[in-house]
Amino acid sequence: AAGLDRPQVVSHAQQALNYTLFDCKWVPRSARLLCLGSTARGSGLLQLYELRGGRLALLREIEKAKPLKCGTFGATSLQQRYFATGDFGGNLNIWNLEAPEIPVYSVKGHKEIINSIDGVGGLGIGEGAPEIVTGSRDGTVKVWDPRQKDTPVANMEPVQGESKRDCWTVAFGNAYNQEERVVCAGYDNGDIKLFDLKTMSLQWETNIKNGVCSVEFDRKDVNMNKLVATSLEGKFHVFDMRTQHPTKGFASVSEKAQKSTIWQVRHLPQNRDVFMTSGGAGSLHLWKYEYPSQRSKKDSEGAEMGVAGSLSLLQNVTLSTQPISSLDWSPDKKGLCVCGAFDQTVRVLIVTKLNKV
Amino acid sequence: MPVWLREHRWWQTASAVYLSLPVRCLRVTAANIFCTDRYLKVSIPPFLFEAILYAPIDDINSTAKIGNGMIFFTLYKKETAMWDSLTLANANKEKLQYLRENAVLKAHEKAKEETEAKKVTKQEHKKYALEATMKLEETERKRIEDLKEKERQKVTKELELWTKQQDAAEKHNRVQKEGELHQEVEQLKEKKKEKIKKTRIPNEGTSETRIKATKGRGSYSMFSENLKEEQLPAPRSTATIKINFTSRVFPTALRESRVAEEEEWLRKQAEARRTISDDLSELEDLKEEEKNPDWLKDKGNKMFATGNYLAAVNAYNLAVRLNNKLPLLYLNRAACHLKLRNLHKAIEDSSKALELLTPPVPDNENARIKAYVRRGTAFCQLELYAEGLQDYEAALKIDPKNKNIEKDAEKIRHLIQGTTQDS
Repeated sequence: AAGLDRPQVVSHAQQALNYTLFDCKWVPRSARLLCLGSTARGSGLLQLYELRGGRLALLREIEKAKPLKCGTFGATSLQQRYFATGDFGGNLNIWNLEAPEIPVYSVKGHKEIINSIDGVGGLGIGEGAPEIVTGSRDGTVKVWDPRQKDTPVANMEPVQGESKRDCWTVAFGNAYNQEERVVCAGYDNGDIKLFDLKTMSLQWETNIKNGVCSVEFDRKDVNMNKLVATSLEGKFHVFDMRTQHPTKGFASVSEKAQKSTIWQVRHLPQNRDVFMTSGGAGSLHLWKYEYPSQRSKKDSEGAEMGVAGSLSLLQNVTLSTQPISSLDWSPDKKGLCVCGAFDQTVRVLIVTKLNKV
Repeated sequence: MPVWLREHRWWQTASAVYLSLPVRCLRVTAANIFCTDRYLKVSIPPFLFEAILYAPIDDINSTAKIGNGMIFFTLYKKETAMWDSLTLANANKEKLQYLRENAVLKAHEKAKEETEAKKVTKQEHKKYALEATMKLEETERKRIEDLKEKERQKVTKELELWTKQQDAAEKHNRVQKEGELHQEVEQLKEKKKEKIKKTRIPNEGTSETRIKATKGRGSYSMFSENLKEEQLPAPRSTATIKINFTSRVFPTALRESRVAEEEEWLRKQAEARRTISDDLSELEDLKEEEKNPDWLKDKGNKMFATGNYLAAVNAYNLAVRLNNKLPLLYLNRAACHLKLRNLHKAIEDSSKALELLTPPVPDNENARIKAYVRRGTAFCQLELYAEGLQDYEAALKIDPKNKNIEKDAEKIRHLIQGTTQDS
């Protein structure tokens, strides 16, 4: 009985697809979701599904020249709901789903595949200009403003002569007013770098030894609070971002949940201390972060340093034998989430009892 | 020869025979009594009593009571009839024998049957127990499943409700938008009408008003856009941030590196630098810098470059005396010996260098290639072409793209083939 008081992950609907699914996202303010990926013939596919009575009904299918890797609604307004995608050719496109033949904005942003994309400033969340950040295998991280064509508004690239490392993941954060914004990027050699866009400088960097698969702030639109970074070999780190020590950086706690790569981390939009990690063995783990009694303390020289809290595993479930590569919570219904796995299936899940967490 | 017990007494009823057998001073147990349906034997060595019964009895239900120096048998007859005598009268030896054997066989069979029956019952019991546990677990599982199912249904219903709400909201929004648009159009139409009323100019006027109207509408929309623009800050001024990646001694990520080997290599290098060999007494008259193996190595390199091979060898010799764990010293000395045509010494030194260059990691690739090439060259100059080719191929394995090594390897191959053809 004690076990059943914990949140349960209930499978609500699933759909078998005939293409490789790389990303799935909920369309804000609706019961519809977008799946994107790569077909067997090497083209990109975007599918719009609607959740109807326990099944997913395909509403629209859009095919594009290059396979699509990632997408976000983060930088669009609620009325327009334009979708930004990054593809295998390094192109960033923003699509109007009502008229998807010609993109609203298009730029060949990178020389190689765009691995990860994030948007901020849209959907009525936060303040400031809407911006999109893309991280690519060519080692650069670029920030785009949909109002400025062809050139990025910020470019984080390796120094001349430095051998490049693939950037695997990017995330926006700290966007609590019009000027402040940070971008966090994770690379395949375990580097995590935090760029402050207001001062256009590198604010912090660290290395977690294993390639960083996914980074996410618990909220994009508040003073940066927590950052979760997941990596290969089953480890993930939660950094407390409120207190930056001049030499030691941010305090962190790490957890090794499973032996396989942790592909994604996503925080629950309705509760920023609950997040879900998806693993290479087809499993999902639901975690809760508990804050320590004191979030910061003084070290021997009197400088402030952060204190990391603790993690507890609320639930775990194995859905598939293949890695679950993408995960998204619905911003409108608490506990509703969609996940896509490399077994070419998209699953809609409901996590119950999140009110009691 | 057994001692027969003959002092038995018997009497009978219609259905049973009672037999009493005195066994004074003898310890009797159940094992001493053997009974089948036609044969009864009591054997307490050396005493023996046997009886071939007149008629068959029910040996399962018959009993024997042991006590008071007597065995009291109660034998239930299979057929109710009065027996003429306890035993068969005209029993000859053969029949006796046959009966005895038969009896024994029968007993065995019975025993077997009994064990079989026991086994079967045991199996059934096990099966039953298993089924019972399975049922219990099944009910438990079902209970949990039901709870989960209930949860699922509840949640699904909520979701249905929510999706319907979403749909309704969408429709409502759309209707609202249309309504607003309609209102705007109405407003503009009214404005237009007013303007037309005001200006009573003929055709030109109407065209003017039309233009004015469109202008009006244009300015109206521009105005709203301006408002939106003001709410958002202008695009950021473009800037670039240059970054460096975490350097590692070996430029590979954890997943690519062969950490254990690399650690070992690093450790060896560190150790090598620290070792100082003996013979310090002899070297007291040397200057401080002349005692530093690295400085000596550099000196040796310079002398090699100027062509003074003997001096270079001397420098390396001294360096080796000070620290015999640095592979580069041997490597360079090998090169000198090659130039001096001290081929055996060159081979020795290259081999020593290769020994010190274990474990093989990307860091010491270049050194290893050089060592193999130098040793190969020495072998070839000694006309040991096969060994030379081996070394060249080893070098080629480390760096397959090196054209020089390839060319030389080809040359050696031709040479070998040439010599084999000749001989």
